[in-house]
Amino acid sequence: MEEPLLQTIDLCKQYKGAGNYMAVYHMNLSIPRGKIIGLLGPNGCGKTTLIKMINGLLTPSCGCVTVNGYAPGVETKKVISYLPERTYLQSNMRIREMVDYFQDFYEDFSPERAYNMFASLGIDPEARLKTLSKGTKEKVQLILVMSRQADLYILDEPIAGVDPAARDYILRTIITNYNENATILLSTHLISDIENILDEVIFMKNGSLVLHTSVEAIREKLGKSIDAYFREVYAC
Amino acid sequence: MLGKLMKYEWKGLKKPLSILLLVLLGITLLTGILILTINPKYDDVAVGFSVVFTIISVFLYYFGIIACSIGTMLIIAIRFYKTCYTDEAYLTHTLPVSTKQLVAAKTITAVLCHLFMMLFIFLTAFLLVGVFVTHMINLGEFDMSDIPAHFFSEMSDEFKSEFGIGFIGYLAYIGIYSLISSICGIIMVLGCVSLGQLYTKHRILGAIIAYFALTMIMQFVTYLGMIPMYGKLFAAEFAGESIPMFSVLQPTLTITLVFSIIIAIVMYFINLHMMTKRLNLE
Repeated sequence: MEEPLLQTIDLCKQYKGAGNYMAVYHMNLSIPRGKIIGLLGPNGCGKTTLIKMINGLLTPSCGCVTVNGYAPGVETKKVISYLPERTYLQSNMRIREMVDYFQDFYEDFSPERAYNMFASLGIDPEARLKTLSKGTKEKVQLILVMSRQADLYILDEPIAGVDPAARDYILRTIITNYNENATILLSTHLISDIENILDEVIFMKNGSLVLHTSVEAIREKLGKSIDAYFREVYAC
Repeated sequence: MLGKLMKYEWKGLKKPLSILLLVLLGITLLTGILILTINPKYDDVAVGFSVVFTIISVFLYYFGIIACSIGTMLIIAIRFYKTCYTDEAYLTHTLPVSTKQLVAAKTITAVLCHLFMMLFIFLTAFLLVGVFVTHMINLGEFDMSDIPAHFFSEMSDEFKSEFGIGFIGYLAYIGIYSLISSICGIIMVLGCVSLGQLYTKHRILGAIIAYFALTMIMQFVTYLGMIPMYGKLFAAEFAGESIPMFSVLQPTLTITLVFSIIIAIVMYFINLHMMTKRLNLE
């Protein structure tokens, strides 16, 4: 059996303080290569905490996470291309300087691909990030992330807060730029916009894994769209 | 990767530091020009204005030096905070580099920037003293030939008998002491920024509190370090002996320096620990 690209074993994250809140609760997850996977759940269900632990931005309280068999560290950061839910670029830098930055640190980064995408969107590489609109900054960030030939793309809420036209562009960029042997883990609660591109879904609730199955299985066995099933699972 | 990290660290620091350097250079040039305007050949009113403006400019220069020292420290601390603990940290901590490389790059670059600023301050002071002395010689107020040939050797001997160490040796000791102290000071500031992250709701305030708490502890250790100095002074007083100044000062300086180094080492490991085990980005 092929080794999973990403694996979590009994993974927990407890935030110390008021109530010792458990953001991720004993999660066992195995993610294969070559899939587009939706990490779905309502706000505060632990999606971002899980993503941060995969990226080594948070230390698990118990259990472990591995990517390509490695614990989060230099080796995993080489193969993960991560788009956080916020703008992480330095606002006083020019886009061209950010391209140089990515090229300097990521061996798998293709500047040609990035510049082609900037040109297709009419984004001036000489522009400083602080002069761009929120939507354009998100596009710049996505272009930089998708211009890598990574094994695992982790996109945290890539379409939240942008207009529908920008959403279409972002989804198109994701589909056309990822390597087929790579996996995309895409976190969102805007399911109807992305369900057509997903191979698998992971449902999370209160820090726990509720369901991990293929999109086909939900459609065939339950006769429902992912969006309809999501509304049923998370009905208030 | 260390070189690349340092390159981008320098890129991020150079612009605000250049502004400080330019301001200090401007004040230095202004002070130098005002010194040159002092000339007893002009009437008393003009000389009076020149002297008053020069004194104001010297004060401005003095505050400029303080602003540059504190400003450099602040610029370094703000950049460290922004790139390691705010939104920008999402990129910093997902680069394929080890935490040790990250901390080393930030520390080395910060220390080099601080030393560069100190060197620049020293050069501007040297320039002003040079302008003043040259101008006085040109005005005939001061003549180098008035200084007896044996003046410097006598001064040196007197210094040695008073301090118990040669002038050059003393300068070298103070220079090395200042160098190590400023390196330790930078590492301490970076460590305090990291310690501030423990107060998740008031991270900046936490860093400031950590800095002042640590400064107070260091002050207390300095007072403790003065005990041997006072001990020696009292012993000499009772015995009716005179002891060289440097042998009185040295134990205190050494104790505070060793403590600074210990604090810096602890702070370096606190930085590593906070970035690996306690990282909690908002």
